[in-house]
Amino acid sequence: MLKKYISIMRGVALAALLMCGASLAAQTTASGVINGTLINKNGISIQFDSDPAGVTLGAAGTSAATANFGTVSAFGPLAAGVTRPSVTAANFTVRTIFDVQVIQGGLNSTTYTLTANLAAAAPTGMSYKVDAITLTTALQTIQVNGAYSTAIPHNLDLVILTAAPGAGGPAVNTPITTTINFTATAN
Amino acid sequence: MLFSLTMSCNFKFGGMKALLAMGGLLFMMASSAAAQTSSGQLTITMSVQSSITLVFQNNPSVGTTGFCPLTNSGTNNVGLDLGIAAFPGSFHTSTCVSYTHLTAADYQVSSAFDVVVNKANSSSPNYRLAAQISTPPPANVTWLLNNVTLTTAGFTTLDAADNYATPITKTLQVQVKNTVAAQTLLETITFLATAN
Repeated sequence: MLKKYISIMRGVALAALLMCGASLAAQTTASGVINGTLINKNGISIQFDSDPAGVTLGAAGTSAATANFGTVSAFGPLAAGVTRPSVTAANFTVRTIFDVQVIQGGLNSTTYTLTANLAAAAPTGMSYKVDAITLTTALQTIQVNGAYSTAIPHNLDLVILTAAPGAGGPAVNTPITTTINFTATAN
Repeated sequence: MLFSLTMSCNFKFGGMKALLAMGGLLFMMASSAAAQTSSGQLTITMSVQSSITLVFQNNPSVGTTGFCPLTNSGTNNVGLDLGIAAFPGSFHTSTCVSYTHLTAADYQVSSAFDVVVNKANSSSPNYRLAAQISTPPPANVTWLLNNVTLTTAGFTTLDAADNYATPITKTLQVQVKNTVAAQTLLETITFLATAN
C-alpha cells in the first residue's frame, strides 16, 4: 500500500515537472539594441529683433528683417519709433533702434564681433550709420565684444542731405530701399 | 599636392603614413580654427518728403526801443509781452516797446522780431508769408503786422516772396483808441509760410 502511494506521488511529481518544463519552453523572447548617433555641430546664428524704442521690424526674429522708417522729413512729423536727433542746414538725421541677437552653440567663444556693410552704394543724398559708424559697401566693424543670447540695441541713423533733388539731395516722395548686411563672427 | 610631391621624393611608406597623419591633423586643426560666422540682412525703406519750418527769433537789436525780447525765441511758439500802456501821458511800462500817439485819440505800441523760414529737400525758390489773429479784438483796437491789419476772417498775406533762411523782420503793432476801456488785450497770431 505504501509502495503504491509512493509510486502515485512520484507519478504526480513527474507530471508536475513535465508541465512546468512545457510551460517554460513556451516563453519565446527577442531582444534588440538601438545604436543612437548624434553629431553635435557648433555654430552661431544672427537675428534682428524689434527694439521697444524703435520701429517694429518686419520679419522680426529672423536674419532677414525689414525696417520701415515711413515718410521722413527735416521738419515734418515722423512715424512711431523714429526720432530726429539732429537737423542742420546741410542735413538731418532720422534714427531708429533695432536689436541684434546672436546665439552660439558648441563653441568656446564667449563674445562675437559684429560687422556691417551696405549691399550697394548708398542712394544719392543718403548715408547710413550704425552706432555712429558710417557704412560703405566694405565691411565696417560695429561691435567687437557682443554678448551671445542677448538682444543688443543698435542705433540706425539715416543722414539725409537737405539739398533739393537734383542738387545733391535725395529723391523725394519716392520709396528708397537699402539693404545692410550684418555678419557676426565668433571671437 | 603635398603627398604626391613627397611620394616622388621619398618612397618610404612609414614616412608617408606619418605625413598622412600630420596632414589629417592639420586639416582637423584648420577646420576647428575656421571662424564661425552668421550673416543677416536688414532692409531699410523710407521716403523723403520736402518740408519747411518757421521759427521766430529775437532781432539783433533786441532790448532797444522797438525790439522787445521774445520768450522761447528760436521756436515756432513764442510770447511777446508789450507791457502796460495808456493814452494819457504816453504812459507805457515796457522799456523796449515803441510807443507813439498816432492821432489825437489813438496810440500805438509796437515791437519788432524776426521770422526765419528754412526748407529741406525742396526746390522752392522762396515762400509767401501770411498771418491771422485768433479772436476779434475789441472795438477800436487793431492788430497789425508791418502796417497790415490782421483779421480773424482768414490769413492776410504779408509777403509774396520771402527768401529762405533769411531773417525777415516783422513789427507787431497794437493800435488803441482812447475810448477803449481798461482791459488786457490778448491775441494769438498765427503765421503761415507757404512754399512757392
